[in-house]
Amino acid sequence: MLEIRNLHKAFGSLEVLKGIDVDLEKGKVLVIIGPSGSGKTTLLRCMNLLELPDQGSMKLSDRKLEFKSGRKLPTREVTELRKRTGMVFQSYNLFPHKTVIENIMEGPVIVQKKDRAAARAHAQELLTKVGLADRGDYYPHQLSGGQQQRVGIARAMAMEPDVLLFDEPTSALDPELVGEVLRVIKQLAQEGRTMVIVTHEMKFAADVADHVILMDGGYIIEQGPPQQVINNPQSPRAQQFMNRIAGEDI
Amino acid sequence: MTDRQIQIVIDSFWPLLKAGLMYTLPLAIASFVLGLIVAVLTALARTSGIRILDFIAQFYVWIIRGTPLLVQLFIIFYGLPSVGIILPPFVAALIGFTLSVGAYGSEIVRAAIQSIPKGQWEAAYSIGMTRGQALKRVILPQAARVSVPPLSNSFISLVKDTSLASVITYIEMFRQSQQIVARTYEALVLYTEAAVIYLMFTSVLFVLQGWLEKRLSRFSAQ
Ligand SMILES: Nc1ncnc2c1ncn2[C@@H]1O[C@H](COP(=O)(O)OP(=O)(O)OP(=O)(O)O)[C@@H](O)[C@H]1O
Ligand SMILES: [Mg+2]
Repeated sequence: MLEIRNLHKAFGSLEVLKGIDVDLEKGKVLVIIGPSGSGKTTLLRCMNLLELPDQGSMKLSDRKLEFKSGRKLPTREVTELRKRTGMVFQSYNLFPHKTVIENIMEGPVIVQKKDRAAARAHAQELLTKVGLADRGDYYPHQLSGGQQQRVGIARAMAMEPDVLLFDEPTSALDPELVGEVLRVIKQLAQEGRTMVIVTHEMKFAADVADHVILMDGGYIIEQGPPQQVINNPQSPRAQQFMNRIAGEDI
Repeated sequence: MTDRQIQIVIDSFWPLLKAGLMYTLPLAIASFVLGLIVAVLTALARTSGIRILDFIAQFYVWIIRGTPLLVQLFIIFYGLPSVGIILPPFVAALIGFTLSVGAYGSEIVRAAIQSIPKGQWEAAYSIGMTRGQALKRVILPQAARVSVPPLSNSFISLVKDTSLASVITYIEMFRQSQQIVARTYEALVLYTEAAVIYLMFTSVLFVLQGWLEKRLSRFSAQ
């Protein structure tokens, strides 16, 4: 489903990704963890080309892209790939001038040129799924953070993407609102959605992941099933990181 | 005031008001609407990332902002005929004010576009929108709301600035009052009367502005 090879990305002289490989099968959940500044967000943003990688290749479903520094991709290639990926942002980034249901319908109607009525019906289904069936006509600022983030998830799902990308979906939330968002994501995992999740919530990661990648300094320093990476890391750097996280959790 | 002055005030009120309604406001409204189109196009050129467009837009804004409007009007109306371009006063004024609104307005629109958080672009791109779709559906509607207060100030200034068109023989309200002064020699009375009518117009606009801002603030709270 998703296959990334030797991905490199630098911002000016700062090398942020130094050769990343990722393989993700359909229906699996990949969780990316790692210290601040290790390149997690950058990797995720490369997956839907919000950042253009300098080098490497990426294959999503039937589309394959090769990256070379200094070469821009054709707009068509970029938008085609983005239609196959759904992004859920840390700060939700809902459209404040549109109602909740319009936020969700926007992609299907404007980008996929779907019929409005069909898009509305689908949006309503998605709202029900994320537990906000009665909030369609609200504006984003009338909702709590947790509710806004669930709308963000519904908006990403409305495009029926091959893979859903989450960048710390709960880190902007008050602690008491984290649970409702994690529950929705977990439900999606159980339904067999393919997802990539960047998170600092280790319990959640252990719970939901099929595969965990631990990044540090632009490299993947450890990966495997969650029991191994989270509970029994092999490399000293990984052990150090896990110990520090465990310390913070108390 | 003498009885004669009172009579002049009464007699000239309707002709002045009429000049305001039929010549001042239409000029202001038409040049504002056209100017806004120019302003948005100029702002888009300046934020397009296309060097040549950005350069042309910057050059235009530089010229208009850096020279007096009065001089621009003189060039258009009195200057252009010597290269064979003869424009009626209304058209000359319309061009001058449109270019002015376009230049100053583009700065407002550009600032508004830049004030929209980057996350809004990214959210639009992430659902597969092109730059054009993102602008039209996500960025410009929000930028429009941000621009309303400064743009309504521009419009109110414009209504007053149309009095400059009197110097290129466009018979708007102020020129009308000048003509009555020429007949009656009552400068203080008539120019004050004109000022009062301008004040009536702008006061209505102040109220509209307040109402509009209140309405828009309901939606833009993030
Ligand atoms: N647009 C950018 N321009 C310049 N540097 C950037 C940019 N985006 C990220 N960086 C830098 O790249 C490095 C990796 O950033 P990234 O956001 O990917 O880290 P992260 O692992 O997501 O960290 P965090 O856990 O704090 O979110 C950081 O040093 C960051 O400052
Ligand atoms: Mg990050």
